[in-house]
Amino acid sequence: MTEKNFLTKTLTETMLTRRSFLKWSAALGGTAALAGGVSYGLKVAQATAEKAASEGEWVPAACWGNCGGRCLNVAHVVDGVVTRQKTDDTHPDSPDFPQQRGCSRGRSQRQRVFGADRLKYPMKRAHWEPGGGDKSLRGKDEWVRISWDEALDIVASEIKRINDKYGPGSILWGTNAVAAAAGYVNTWGSTSSGTWAYTAPRVITSQSNMGNDRLDMRKSKLIVMWSTDPICSSGGSPAYHYLQSKKAGAKFIFVDPFFTNSAQVLADEWIPIRPGTDTPMLLAMGYTLITEDDPATNPLIDWDFIKKNTIGFDNTSLPDGVEPDENYRDYVLGLDASGHPAPVGHKNYPAKTPEWASEICGVPPEKIRSFAIEIGQTNPVAFMQSDALARVNNAQSVGQAFVAIAAMIGSIGVSGGGFGQTRHAAAGNRGPNLINLGSSGTVLDSPKNPVSARINNNEVWDAVLTGKYTDGVGPKKDINIQMVYHTKGSRLQTTVGQAKGIQAMRKVEFALTTDFHLTTGARYSDVVLPVTTMWERDGYVTNPNREAVFWASKVIDPLFEAQDDAWIDWQLGLRLGVYDPNLTEISNLQQAVNRVAGATVVKEDGKTTEPLVSITEDDLKALGVTGEPQTGRIPIMDFKKAGSYQVPRSEGDNFTFIALKDFRKDPVANPLDTESGLVELYCQKLADDVTALGWTAIRAIPAYIPPERGYETTFSDWENKVKGPYPLQMYNKHYWRRSHSEFDNVLQLREAFQQEFLMNPIDAEARGIKNGDIVKITSSEGSSIRPVLVTDRIMPGVTQLPHGAWTEYDESLGVDKAGSDNYLEAGVPTVEGHSGFNSQNVQVEKWNGPGLAPDAQWPQRIPLKEA
Amino acid sequence: MAKQLGFYFDSSACTGCKACAIACKDRSSLPVGTNWRHITDYGGGGWVPDPNHPDLLIANNIYVYSLSTSCMHCEDPACVNVCPTTAMYKRDDGIVLVDASKCIGCRYCEWACPYGAPQFSEEKGVMTKCDFCQDLQAQGLDPACVDACPMRALEFGELDELRAKYGDVQAVDPLPDPNITHPSFVMTPHKNSQPVGSGNGKILTVSGKV
Amino acid sequence: MTGKEWALITFTILAQMSVGAFVVLGIVHFFAARKAGDEQADRLSDMALLAIGPVLVLGLLASFGHLGNPVNAPKAISNLASSWLSREIFSSVTFAVLGAAFALMQWRKIATPALRNAIAWLAALVGLFLVFSMSQVYMLQTQPAWDTFATPVQFFATTFLLGSLAIGSAFVANYAYLKGKDPDCAEAQCSLVRVALKWIALASIVILGVEMISLPLQLSLLASSPSAVAQASAALLFSQFAGLFAVRLVLVFLGAGLLALFVYRYASQPGSESLMGTLAYSAFALVLFSEVVGRFLFYATHLRIGL
Repeated sequence: MTEKNFLTKTLTETMLTRRSFLKWSAALGGTAALAGGVSYGLKVAQATAEKAASEGEWVPAACWGNCGGRCLNVAHVVDGVVTRQKTDDTHPDSPDFPQQRGCSRGRSQRQRVFGADRLKYPMKRAHWEPGGGDKSLRGKDEWVRISWDEALDIVASEIKRINDKYGPGSILWGTNAVAAAAGYVNTWGSTSSGTWAYTAPRVITSQSNMGNDRLDMRKSKLIVMWSTDPICSSGGSPAYHYLQSKKAGAKFIFVDPFFTNSAQVLADEWIPIRPGTDTPMLLAMGYTLITEDDPATNPLIDWDFIKKNTIGFDNTSLPDGVEPDENYRDYVLGLDASGHPAPVGHKNYPAKTPEWASEICGVPPEKIRSFAIEIGQTNPVAFMQSDALARVNNAQSVGQAFVAIAAMIGSIGVSGGGFGQTRHAAAGNRGPNLINLGSSGTVLDSPKNPVSARINNNEVWDAVLTGKYTDGVGPKKDINIQMVYHTKGSRLQTTVGQAKGIQAMRKVEFALTTDFHLTTGARYSDVVLPVTTMWERDGYVTNPNREAVFWASKVIDPLFEAQDDAWIDWQLGLRLGVYDPNLTEISNLQQAVNRVAGATVVKEDGKTTEPLVSITEDDLKALGVTGEPQTGRIPIMDFKKAGSYQVPRSEGDNFTFIALKDFRKDPVANPLDTESGLVELYCQKLADDVTALGWTAIRAIPAYIPPERGYETTFSDWENKVKGPYPLQMYNKHYWRRSHSEFDNVLQLREAFQQEFLMNPIDAEARGIKNGDIVKITSSEGSSIRPVLVTDRIMPGVTQLPHGAWTEYDESLGVDKAGSDNYLEAGVPTVEGHSGFNSQNVQVEKWNGPGLAPDAQWPQRIPLKEA
Repeated sequence: MAKQLGFYFDSSACTGCKACAIACKDRSSLPVGTNWRHITDYGGGGWVPDPNHPDLLIANNIYVYSLSTSCMHCEDPACVNVCPTTAMYKRDDGIVLVDASKCIGCRYCEWACPYGAPQFSEEKGVMTKCDFCQDLQAQGLDPACVDACPMRALEFGELDELRAKYGDVQAVDPLPDPNITHPSFVMTPHKNSQPVGSGNGKILTVSGKV
Repeated sequence: MTGKEWALITFTILAQMSVGAFVVLGIVHFFAARKAGDEQADRLSDMALLAIGPVLVLGLLASFGHLGNPVNAPKAISNLASSWLSREIFSSVTFAVLGAAFALMQWRKIATPALRNAIAWLAALVGLFLVFSMSQVYMLQTQPAWDTFATPVQFFATTFLLGSLAIGSAFVANYAYLKGKDPDCAEAQCSLVRVALKWIALASIVILGVEMISLPLQLSLLASSPSAVAQASAALLFSQFAGLFAVRLVLVFLGAGLLALFVYRYASQPGSESLMGTLAYSAFALVLFSEVVGRFLFYATHLRIGL
């Protein structure tokens, strides 16, 4: 009886003092409460509700995933134990003024904070010694509990020893104390934004300046959702905003390899497209717009905008000295400098016709054509994407090609239009914050990191293993990493090339992780330090989106011996002799109050601001902080109690945002931050900066480079369409169970979302695979096994492995059982050095080995038996 | 006093995100294995050669919709009818509850309920089920699932009023025939909804079941 | 298959066998009394009667194994108004009480034969109602594999098949016991036993026929049903459980058909009592095994419609 085992295990192996354990298990409906024969569910719920009425209080609790939603989470605390959660009910709900409702992840936070697998004590690996001990046991060794003193002494002495022995640049990642004492190597490279990181500011504008606000989006006639799935990736309000656009009459067209859950609710049409083939499709759409446009009979192109606000569209608007056929139009139409069709071998050959694109992207040419004409003819169109199309190897040009279409169809700077990134906190709702937080008022400066060496994410594990990394054009540089500090960001889990990463972790002399669960990094470390979650600290103040500000309180005291990251850094700094013990930072609560006190909120006129909160002397005393009384919109204690302040919006209010509206009207008076001040469809800076990184020389126009591990590479013979050893594409989608890699250990989420591998029935049948089978997925990096969901929702030839599962490598089977995306992904540095998560080729076969228990039944990672 | 409380569900707005089901689990501290609210993704369609390009496969009417259902607090509840101890009972306001102090854990109701509402607790040996958050309602609050939905796809109230407001669709595939137990449930179907019992689509899970 | 299912398999098999044995015993006793007088009839059947009780009690105790919370078990008769399960439990208790009362009275020869008879009749009727209730428990709209004509037919078939063969074996055992104890009486018993076994063998063959008709009919009903769940239930019998299903059919054919034929033959031949007895035991064993497998399949292949 697995449920009984798990509940029993959870209860007996967890928690706190015995007294609070009993209370907590009672609150969770556990054995203690039931021992007396109290009926389950119903009566326990009654008991909880009665408690709710009489004791306990509702405390705003942080929801701190990197999902972008960051909705309001409130915890019910009874005697220091959280019995349940609720979401936003601080004001009545309406589409114009919606509650900030959380998703299934946020609703599971208390399972995460109070899970039996919380790290409770500092620990070290049983077979570790200075120098590493038996490094091959990293990831499978036993754990030994140690005291904080011993742990911090070990860390400090290892930092000193390694830095002394190998010199600066031997520590990978670190905190302020490490920077001050030795310096550390950092990694770099766009992960979330793909190639937009370099493209956006050089070609047009920062991504935070793309798209319109949610009320304006109700005016759209047509919303193109290209590789964006807000329902999964930005849980909470964004999908609700899009629903209002739909109710207001907008048509939705989704372009995606997968019929997403956003599409199921919003889409009027779904255009399936192979991952990584968006550039050809966009170029072919440009071809269609240009060739079909007739200003008199069939106006498709916004020529005013092209002429006034862009450069590089054709040979009339190129910078001096540039070859005349190095422009967007000639490239798309496949013309040479004289305007004739370019011959084979010419840099602009072939014409980027829909037929040319169709062979690559899998969209019928008739559809490419009709889609381009439709967005050309419709006004206004919101032409939106969420960067997944740019998280593809070699795809530097996709952003520029995307902007070119947006420019041509008149989506930039118009009401009901909008272009570019719709993602994270601004999904479906762009615009400057209506509430701006003040500064935290920290008194200590961050020490400078003396090590300037930076390794690209795609190369980091190779750099550890081979001692070489790329730093621009020219020969690789030397590096000798002997310590890895997993301080935040779950790097070992979320960096490409994880199979190599594990090898790298077994090579260095010392590995350290601070975390609150035995995540991937912790598992492969020598010393693990337990940190507090956001529920165990003050200081969480944030803008979840432009219209609101949250202030979460400390919900409970730190569990067991968990400590703040800041305290750990402080202790390390003292031991390393780089911190002055008399100079301490102000408290988290003081920082929070400073930010809140300094917060300003835009008034109804949309222009002037006022302080957000009023503060009295009594308030300051009650909070136990320093400050000055002030007047503002709401009393500070009201804000603290509610945990949220949200600016009410309504149709016709003054909070509209239309990105680049002024630029459209007058590009001279309101230039962009690009080199020319205009939209650069020819962008020299992009070409120069990317080429200088040393991996790929690119053109200044959006020229297509077939991606490594894209669609073309599934063939060993492209001409004759003969498939190679890895004939299927694999991409990694944001997944409901997790926010990146967070929440993967929460049992009820593992039950609700089972990390299935997705395949099309045609591909499955060809391999004798049925829905529900366990399949083995193999890439150039290794193999994983997963239950397969065979579904028509995904294109033939394409597979999907949800992003973020914590690797669970099984030595005897030689496979990763968890389906970690990065275990199968390779680090391939191309163009701007972004991570091309959505480019990988795999083979899939039925697994004939031992079966796989459902994820929710896997044992929790509890490293120490309870003392 | 209500006559018959019921749920309204808008399948055209439901994304299958499970926030409602998780909110329910959190509110009642349900363990893995016990789920009082079920989310069902149902879909169909296929891939066919493009008529103009036979080598190219195109999507042919691919659709997906999601259903969020809990206990239906049926007007003619099978669980109440078959329960040997009267542990399963229906209140004046229409809510169907289990009195665990009478339950013998024979699981007969589990066999009889078309909606999978009664859930056996291994730990305690009795049945558990959605209780319409009747204690929250007593405080004037909404059921946890209703307040949780980020798409506002769930409502509850007097069944007659819900019917007057939203019509009388009680089921789509793969929900069971509503004539078996007359669920106190009104829904707005998704535009691609399939008729009850048609079997046109599939439940989109690795087990093929919810 | 969980522990709960084994408890139900045990309970339904043993309870049905008890009812069947009780009724068959009553019929045999009636005709035996007409042919050879009450005393011989009693001698034939009293031991068998006393054996029924413990079997029924064992079955009732086993049923507790399927309850998650047996402490509330007495409450299970609270819903006679609408629950067939309540009715089943009520009638099983009533049958047990009446059967026990009759057995006690018969054993101690309390009161008049007429009164004892009346109680026996009542017990038998309640017992038949018990089997009927059991079958109705499974006639749920949500369980297409169960909600067919075959369920009550199979339950009654099991009742009388196992009941007959159990009684047959009981008679054989009783005869062997009497032979050892009182050879004269045994002679008189011999022909009674042989006649009884002849009829029991015939009954087995007929009931075998009923099973062999109803099982395929039910399967084709399910396999051709528009309900995907019904089809899936049928499919289980052809895939995962095909082997067991074959075993079930072969064994009941061997026991209730082939062996019963030989029981009939040797029951008709004076002097072959020993062989007849062995065959009777074997037939009972094979059929009991087959019925248990059949009941196992009954629980293993049910699938609920809906969510």
